[in-house]
Amino acid sequence: MTDNMEREPMLELFIFETYQLIDQLEQALLDFEKGNKLEDSINEIFRIMHTIKGSAAMMLYDNISTLAHSMEDLFFYLREEKPENVEYSKIIDIVFEGIDFIKAETAKVENGLEPDGSSEELKEKARKYLEQLKESNPSDNNSKYERKKDNQEDSDQKYYIRSDKNGQVLTTNKYEAVIFFEDGCEMENIRAFSIIHDLESIAEIVSYTPQDVLENNESSLVIRNEGFKVVFKTDLGIDEVKKRLSQTILLKDLQVYLTDDVLEGFEINDSEKNNLNTDGDNSVVSSKEKKIELDDNADQKLVDNSKKTEDGKNLEENAKDNGKEQSKNAGKQSVISVNIAKLDRLMDLMGELVIAEAMVTQNPDLKGLELNNFNKAARQLNKITSELQDIVMSIRMVPLAMTFQKMNRIVRDMSKKLDKLVELEIIGEDTEVDKNIIERISDPLIHLIRNSIDHGIEKDDERVANGKPPTGKLVLEAKNAGGDVWIIVKDDGRGLNKEKILERARANGLLFKPESELTDREIYSFIFLPGFSTKESVTEFSGRGVGMDIVMKNIEMIGGSVHVDSTPGEGTTFSIRFPLTLAIIDGMIIAVGNNKYTIPTVAILESFRIKNEAIIHDEMGNEMIMVRGECYPVVRLYKRFGVETEVTDLTEGIMIMIEGENKRMCIFADALLGQQQVVVKALPKYIKKVNGIAGCTLLGDGDISLILNVDEIL
Amino acid sequence: MKRVLVADDATFMRTSLRMMLERNGFEVVGEAENGLVAVSKYKEINPDIVTMDITMPVCDGIKAVKMIKEYDPNAKIIMISSMGQECFVKEAILSGAKGFIVKPFKEEYVIDTLSKL
Repeated sequence: MTDNMEREPMLELFIFETYQLIDQLEQALLDFEKGNKLEDSINEIFRIMHTIKGSAAMMLYDNISTLAHSMEDLFFYLREEKPENVEYSKIIDIVFEGIDFIKAETAKVENGLEPDGSSEELKEKARKYLEQLKESNPSDNNSKYERKKDNQEDSDQKYYIRSDKNGQVLTTNKYEAVIFFEDGCEMENIRAFSIIHDLESIAEIVSYTPQDVLENNESSLVIRNEGFKVVFKTDLGIDEVKKRLSQTILLKDLQVYLTDDVLEGFEINDSEKNNLNTDGDNSVVSSKEKKIELDDNADQKLVDNSKKTEDGKNLEENAKDNGKEQSKNAGKQSVISVNIAKLDRLMDLMGELVIAEAMVTQNPDLKGLELNNFNKAARQLNKITSELQDIVMSIRMVPLAMTFQKMNRIVRDMSKKLDKLVELEIIGEDTEVDKNIIERISDPLIHLIRNSIDHGIEKDDERVANGKPPTGKLVLEAKNAGGDVWIIVKDDGRGLNKEKILERARANGLLFKPESELTDREIYSFIFLPGFSTKESVTEFSGRGVGMDIVMKNIEMIGGSVHVDSTPGEGTTFSIRFPLTLAIIDGMIIAVGNNKYTIPTVAILESFRIKNEAIIHDEMGNEMIMVRGECYPVVRLYKRFGVETEVTDLTEGIMIMIEGENKRMCIFADALLGQQQVVVKALPKYIKKVNGIAGCTLLGDGDISLILNVDEIL
Repeated sequence: MKRVLVADDATFMRTSLRMMLERNGFEVVGEAENGLVAVSKYKEINPDIVTMDITMPVCDGIKAVKMIKEYDPNAKIIMISSMGQECFVKEAILSGAKGFIVKPFKEEYVIDTLSKL
C-alpha cells in the first residue's frame, strides 16, 4: 500500500469504512457505558479499534493507527484481565476523545488533506490509564493476559519438544542451517518458530539460536541481524533439506551445511565451536526443564483445550440451530455498496424514462386512432415503468437508524456537560427516507436536540420541585404519514415562554399582525426567525441566536416544514414534516398563457372559481378574496412571472388555494390541466435562481413546466 | 490460477487483498467477514488458499483455522496478523496455518507468501 497509485481507489473505501466503524464504536461505547453486556461491548470495541488500526496502518496514517493501537491495548487488558476498580467513565471519556480525533482526521482525509493531527497526548492518556489499572490490579502469573502478552503459552512448547523426546526419527545426518528473512517482514521469531515446527516432521531438532524465539519477541532483532541458526538431525540428503527450507516464506538467504563439513569448510574457531555446543546443550536442558514445568500444568491445559474445542463446536451448532443468526449473516453478505453518483444517475434516467413513456403513449400523432393492441402494450409498459420506479426509489431509501443513533452521543455529551439527567427514547428508527434527505436532516436534528436539553429540560432539583421525575425525557420519533415523513422531537421540560417570545418579537419588530390575533403556534414560530434568541446567556451548545432559523432553512431546502407546540411546564414538541423523496412529486399542472406550471399537490388545499362579489381590496389596494368568511390575498401568476395571457379577469380563471408555513393564499391561473407525477429537475445552472421557482420538469408532450416553490411565493 | 478465499471483517482489508491478488494472477473466489462464514464458504467453494484475519467478530481466525483444518487437513491457510499478535500466530501455526503476513503488508511479500504454498 505504499504506492500512491494504489492508494487512490482504496481511499474512498477507507473513509467510508472508518466512518461506519466509528458509528459502531460509538454505539458499542454507549452500551458499554450503560453496562449492558459489558463483555460483549469490550470485545466489540477492542475489535473495532483493531480493525481501524490495521486499515489506517495500510494507508500510512500513523497518528490514527497508533492511537487505535493504544485504545486496543487498553481494551485487550480489560478483556483478558477483567480488572477491578475500573473507572469506566474515565475510559469512556478517553475513548470518546479518541473517536473524535479519528473522526476529525478521517474528515481531513476526506477533504483531500493529510491527517496531520498529533495523537500523542491521547495515546499518553490511554497508556497512563492502562498503567494505573495494571498497578491497582497486580496480576498473578497465571493470568491469561500475562501469558498471552509474554508469549509463554505452555501449549505451544509442548509441541516441539515432543519430537525431541520421542526421538523416533533415525538420525544419520546432522545439519546446520542459517536463515535470513526478507527485510521488514516482521515477526521473525514466529517465522523461525514456524521453521522449527515444520522441520519437526522430518528431523530431530538439536538446537537453535536465538533460543528464546518463543518467549521473547525481541529475538526478532537478533534474527534480523545475525540470522536464525538451527541444528538438526535427519535422514534426508542435503539437497532435499535445502529444497524444503527454501520453501520458507519470505526467505532472503539460506545456507545449509552438514555439520561435519561445517567444522572444516566453515571457518569456525574453537571457542565459537564450543559456544555452539554449549548452546546446544543448554537448549536441550532448558527444553527438558520446560517439559517438567509443563506437566505440572497439564491438567489445567487439558481443561483449557477441551473447552476450546467445545467452544468451536458450540459455535457451529449455534449457527446451525439459530437460523435467524445465519440469515442475518446471509443478509449482510448480500449487501454491496454503490457509489451514490451512480444512483443519482439511475434516478435521472428513471425520470427520463417516465417522461419518454408519456411522450409515446400520449403522442399527438395517435389522436383519434383505433389502437387496441397499442393500448394493451402501452398499459404493460406503464406497469413495468411504475414498478421500476418504485424499485429505483427504494434503492435510495435508507433507514433513519444511523442518524438517530448518533443522537445518543449528543444527548450523552450534553447532559454530562450541563449536569442534567436526560434519557433519550428512540421510536421508529427503521423509517426509511431518501438518501439525500438523510444527509440534510442530521444537522437540524442535532440542533433541535441540543436546544431541548439546553433550554427545555430542567436540572433534576428543579424538576423534582415541580413534581416531575428527576430524569428528563427526550423522545425522538419518526413515522410515515402518506407521502410524508414526520420526525418528532419531544421533551418534557419547562416549555416555551410565550411572554418572552412576544417581548423579543416586539423588540425586533417581527410582529406581522396585532398581538391579540396571534395564535400560540404563530407566537412559537417566531423562534425560527433569523436573529431570534430568548436565552440571555449563551452556552457552549446552543443559544447563539443563530440556529433555529438555520434549522428552518435546512428543512425547507428538502421541501419540509417545522411546527412547534408547547405547554408551559410540560414540555415542547417540534414536528418536522418532509417528503419521502425529493426526486418525484405529485403535481398539479396549471396553465398561464402559453406556459404550464406545476404546483406540488401537497401544498394545494382547494381550487375553485369565484364570483365578482368575493373580490375585495384592502386599504393598500391589494386584491383579496373572501372565502367562507376569511380573507385571502391573491397572487396573479401572470403578473408575478411577467407572462402574457388573455385571462385577466379573476372570475374567468381559476383560484388555487395554497398553504405554506401557517399562511394561506390564492394563486390565480388560467386553467387546471391535470394532475400527474412529475420528475423534479434542478434548473440548469445558466439560469439564475428565480424566486418562486423550485425547479422544472418535462411533461409527457415534451413541454417544460416550471415547478412553483410555494413557500417562496407566500 | 490459484483460487483464494479472503476472510477479514474489514471491507477495506478484503478489498486491498483482492486488488493485490488479482493483479498478480490469483483469483479471489470468495470473501468472508467472520470466521464462521469463512468455514462455511470454505466447505462450499473449496478454495486453494485462505487468507485469514485473526481478530474477527462471531468467530475469530484461530477458531476458524481449527474448524477448517478439521474438515480438510490439507487446507492451506495464511494468517493476516498485526504486530503484537505473535502468540495468536503461533497458535494458528500449531493449528495448521501454513504461514502469515503482518499488517501493514507489502504487496510483494503477500504474493511471495501465497506463491510459496
